[in-house]
Amino acid sequence: MTDPAGAPHEITQLLAEWGNGNQTALDKLYPLVYAELHRMARHYMKRERQDHTLQTTALINEAYVRMVDQKNVHWANRAHFFAISAQIMRRILIDHARRNAYAKRGGAAQQVSLDEAAVVAEDGGSLLLLLDEALQRLAKLDPRRSQIVELRYFGGLNNQEISGVLKVSENTVTRDWNMARAWLYQELSGGAA
Amino acid sequence: MQPERWRQISGIFKSALALEPEERGAFVAAQCGPDEALRRDVERLISSYSQADQDNFMDEPAVAAVAPLLNSDDDISKDRLASGQQVSHYRILRKLGAGGMGEVYLAEDTQLDRTVALKILPADVAADKRRMQRFKQEAKLASSLNQPNILTIFEFGEAGSLHFIASEYVDGATLRDQLRLKPIKLAEVIEIGTQVVAALDAAHEAKIVHRDIKPENIMLRRRDGVVKVLDFGLAKLSEPPASAGGHSDTEANTELLRTTPGTVMGTVSYMSPEQAQGLRVDERTDLWSTGIVIYEMVAGRLPFAGTTSSHLIVEILEKEPALFGETGIVVPPELERIVAKSLAKNPDERYQTAKDLLIDLRNLKRRIDLDAEIKRSVSTHLGTATTDGPAARDLDTAATQHSTPNGSADRGPTRSKLLPIAALLVVLIAALLALTSWSRIRRGAGSPAPAVIVPSARQLSYWMTVQKYRAGRPFAAPFRLAGEINFEPNYQVKLNITSPQAGYLYILNEGPRDAAGSSSFVVLFPSPTANDGLAYLGENQRVEIPPQSWFQFDAEEGTEKLWLVFSAEAVAELEQVKQFANPKDRGQVKDAELQMRVQDFLLAHAKPAPALSRDDELKQTTLSSPNAVLVYSLKLEHH
Repeated sequence: MTDPAGAPHEITQLLAEWGNGNQTALDKLYPLVYAELHRMARHYMKRERQDHTLQTTALINEAYVRMVDQKNVHWANRAHFFAISAQIMRRILIDHARRNAYAKRGGAAQQVSLDEAAVVAEDGGSLLLLLDEALQRLAKLDPRRSQIVELRYFGGLNNQEISGVLKVSENTVTRDWNMARAWLYQELSGGAA
Repeated sequence: MQPERWRQISGIFKSALALEPEERGAFVAAQCGPDEALRRDVERLISSYSQADQDNFMDEPAVAAVAPLLNSDDDISKDRLASGQQVSHYRILRKLGAGGMGEVYLAEDTQLDRTVALKILPADVAADKRRMQRFKQEAKLASSLNQPNILTIFEFGEAGSLHFIASEYVDGATLRDQLRLKPIKLAEVIEIGTQVVAALDAAHEAKIVHRDIKPENIMLRRRDGVVKVLDFGLAKLSEPPASAGGHSDTEANTELLRTTPGTVMGTVSYMSPEQAQGLRVDERTDLWSTGIVIYEMVAGRLPFAGTTSSHLIVEILEKEPALFGETGIVVPPELERIVAKSLAKNPDERYQTAKDLLIDLRNLKRRIDLDAEIKRSVSTHLGTATTDGPAARDLDTAATQHSTPNGSADRGPTRSKLLPIAALLVVLIAALLALTSWSRIRRGAGSPAPAVIVPSARQLSYWMTVQKYRAGRPFAAPFRLAGEINFEPNYQVKLNITSPQAGYLYILNEGPRDAAGSSSFVVLFPSPTANDGLAYLGENQRVEIPPQSWFQFDAEEGTEKLWLVFSAEAVAELEQVKQFANPKDRGQVKDAELQMRVQDFLLAHAKPAPALSRDDELKQTTLSSPNAVLVYSLKLEHH
């Protein structure tokens, strides 16, 4: 890259550093990716109904292509990028949901169970906040399953892509997803384990 | 819960799910043995599993679940710009909507006393300086072309943290809105298509590729149907950095596409095959997208309609769109050909330039106009002589209407084969009846707009727009006059012209005669800043003269003489005059011999003078001439 500003190069570099275990690289990476994804998330929302909405994966792929030096594409980088994108997407969405909950109630989000959530269907945000909390509990019990949920639900990846990112078989991803989803459903239905 | 317990539960759960549902209970019971609590936990999880499945729990990604939230979130930020609020030297009037990248407001420019459209760019978009720079460059360049079908941008500005673009305000609807509202008539389809391509032609000449032509980016102005293409350059905000070496590196890109399907963004439906693959795009991508838009206008649906973006991309790359004829829509074969050529998968087999496409569309339009004209005059005659004849109805079907995709049986493709014969008959009848019509027009000259127009006769309407000035500033809103008056100094005026017929319009300002009695002329129309520099006007198209400014009178009393020429065919003498319609020559015809010929032409055709009827209610004056060339001298007096 001869580009003086060199953003794609910078991101590629940071991803590589992060892959090598340099955690400060992640901090530098975060705002760069955040701005990009936020912009795209908004674009995604704005799209008119009759248009063919792109999947979240396509959205993230696009961000990836745009941000990363395309001449140095390695699978490892892509995997990092997907992982980090999913985390950031999660944060963006949770932030939105939280802000909305505050705006609506002038305070913290109320507990809503699944049944109530179905009644107040438009309030996807409260459900999302509960889900996020449950997912944090799952991460303590079972980090891998929690990450699968993050990649799939927040990152929009499919099982095949997740298997590539986590380097486990697709069958494993499917089984782990089933278990994690059942558990989260149970958590949100009000049944404490 | 202890991790150990969790592992136990998940192990049994996993194995149980591999079994048929009815076998699971026994399996779990056997696995858990005496541990009742374990059995309950696993069973509950299994039941949650089926429940979650039934509820489609988490099937959609989170982004879908909170979409309404994000939108309402945006609504909150929109409210920050309330009516009456000041942004730089603009006063917000109301919100117009949300367009590509940002909300758009109607605002008043308090410095220049004009209404503008103000687009507020999202902060994070504006913060990307490099992309913004490229976007600005392109948008400004496109706007500076002064092409009437390209939205004019006035200013890129910042006010506090707000980044905005002030542009010309178009009172109208997007083509998307129009498509939702009602089917678009064939003649209009061609008209809209022609104007879009005219915009592209000018942009492409300046090496600007739009990259995102779609109905949302095409505005139709309410008062005159003029088309404005929006968002030139905006695609620069959402594309990979131009500096990325991979951009030109086709191999790397294709490779990437193979491993990451859907590495594209934007409205997939209108993307060209090369664009959908993330390959390098050029001007020809815009011609493809225009082809899709024309197809959609004609058929009322898209040619490629995969249910997901990846299906759609596959269709764009591989599927041949259904011909209109195959789906029961009767269109002129020429239109079928134009659309097919625009939608060639391989850019090398497509129209190579916007100009080529423009020429084909204009020729088609001319033919449709002519057919419609003949049909109109003949159907009127047939209406009096016999009843509505079958020939006329056939022509009507083909020339001015298009059926729905499930068009009724009597509009089947076989019908169109009758057309050439029908058209021939119609021409013959028209020729036979032409004489009668002439006398009718003459008789009807005193009343507004005669219904019968014979192709060889000409009709033209005009009116004046007047802007009063006081102390060097516009005073009150411009108003419309049916015709000319004795204008006061400090008035600024515009001439507006339209005709129900298509034809060639030329307007010259005659200056004082020299000693030898020879006139000097200034070309006012055609002009490079109006109508794509062409003299040809479509049916009911309206032009303003001067296109982008006003006539101003000086303090001295006098008369400005304007020659209006409206002809069925291009006029050779006047076509040559066009070369002087440029800023350098200021429209002055600087060729003495040509001036003589122009003068001769005007004198030869000025008689008989066209019949004039002034309609003060409609506020317009209609000129009718029995000749194929209408010449009228309009005098603007001022004191």
